[in-house]
Amino acid sequence: MSLITPNRRGGANKGGARRNENNRIYGLPLPLEFSTPATARFHPARHILGLFGIPDTRILNPHCEGTFDPLTCSVWVTNSKDSTILWRRGFFGKGDLSRSEPSWHTRQMTARKAAGKFLTSEEIREKRRAERKQFKLDRAAALAQAAAEAEAAFAEGREAAPVAIPSGATWKPQAHPTAEDSRSPTPALTEEVEQEPEEPLEDLEHLQLTLQEAFFLIWNFNCLTVIDPATNEPMSLQQIWSTFRSVYCDKLPPPLSEPAMKRFDNPFLVNYVAYHYFRSLGWVVKGGIKFCVDLLLYKRGPVFHHAEFAVLVMPVYEDPADQESSPFTLANAEPFSWSWLSTVNRVNSQVQKTLILAYVTIPASSRVSCDQTMSPACLAHYSIREVVLRRFLPARMRD
Amino acid sequence: MDTHPSYPALSEVLPKYPKVAGALFQTYNDLKLAQQWTDLEVLDLPSCSRGALRGKRPQMDTTLYVIPCSLSESLSTSWLQDAFKELGEPPHIYLAINAEDSSIVYYKISPGIVKPPV
Repeated sequence: MSLITPNRRGGANKGGARRNENNRIYGLPLPLEFSTPATARFHPARHILGLFGIPDTRILNPHCEGTFDPLTCSVWVTNSKDSTILWRRGFFGKGDLSRSEPSWHTRQMTARKAAGKFLTSEEIREKRRAERKQFKLDRAAALAQAAAEAEAAFAEGREAAPVAIPSGATWKPQAHPTAEDSRSPTPALTEEVEQEPEEPLEDLEHLQLTLQEAFFLIWNFNCLTVIDPATNEPMSLQQIWSTFRSVYCDKLPPPLSEPAMKRFDNPFLVNYVAYHYFRSLGWVVKGGIKFCVDLLLYKRGPVFHHAEFAVLVMPVYEDPADQESSPFTLANAEPFSWSWLSTVNRVNSQVQKTLILAYVTIPASSRVSCDQTMSPACLAHYSIREVVLRRFLPARMRD
Repeated sequence: MDTHPSYPALSEVLPKYPKVAGALFQTYNDLKLAQQWTDLEVLDLPSCSRGALRGKRPQMDTTLYVIPCSLSESLSTSWLQDAFKELGEPPHIYLAINAEDSSIVYYKISPGIVKPPV
């Protein structure tokens, strides 16, 4: 079955089973779990308390742990149980050696055993790329053949015989003996299986959370503890708040880094406003570097459906003087060119995503005191507006 | 990061260029562990003030060059030209653009115009 042509038949049972499985595994949208103690009988006291707003449900907090890494400006979750929880309950983070979910260890073990039953998404991607490459070669060969045929026909003064040129929708991969899976048993690998079991492979991957994701989990749910790598001690909320902002200030030349800490246009703050906004509306927010944007919005998660929206974070200064005095060069803060916008819109239209420009207004330091930046409460002074972009073709879009 | 098994190979170059240390570390790990490149070496590129990587893709024999950079940096064509000169004019280099969530996007850059392969 080809991976690049759309699956028209859509194996109903297989798709349904996978969907139910996904609904079960990814059932919790956030790391917190609400549990109601199972009472066989209706309990009047608890019910009355419930009516007064004192519910019987307990909040189960997984209390995950991560370590702050200043060089990569991120929080690393090395404990595999915690990283599974954070990924499955809200799709937080990304495996640093994988496309999405940390699957490096699984892939390595599969490669060793050479008997993989489940393909990880990376392996599916490789198969798809190999198929697409083969399709392109077949198409190029067919085009060359058609051109040669046309030349020959013209030279002989006859009609050219038609040559079938494969199209993306109908091409089927042929079973090439040379292009087989690297996991098909070769003599060397079968020997390995009969040998002694190899030494256990250490999992060198971690789940990497951006500073925005980590702060969202800490501030709103208190389900993540961040360890300071220098002291190995958990950091307090105040320390986290100032460390996450200082990461961007420390990159500046020394005389500027101190006053920069009190600025409202710290990249951490601006990006956090956008992240928090979309997350609080229920979207799953992931990074958008693959599509030349800042954020991708998923309705339920990457596992369920492709992202529908691509968000560009555009900072806007309430006071232009702040922009002139800014030591940070925030991306997209300057007026952009039509060619740039057109490019980004094209890239996203081709993958059926709608482009959203999210304008984040940075408060003026003349109006709001800079001391407010000492606490997360300063986020209330930011505002965000979205502009949805779609290309309009007057000739075609008449309805 | 210092306890990570990849750190010793990078220990000379990482402290020299702290602003791009994260990008170099992420790119090195991706190439070595995820992409399974062989003969991976760390080079020092003073003209671009960063470390670069040189290695071979699995099952291929050509030596390829990868220059890591971070998404928040701004580059210029003169920077790229300096890189080409310092690496000894390879036919093409890969620019590894790192994001904070550890996504890496690789761009193949050639010094002149290139015809599509197919």
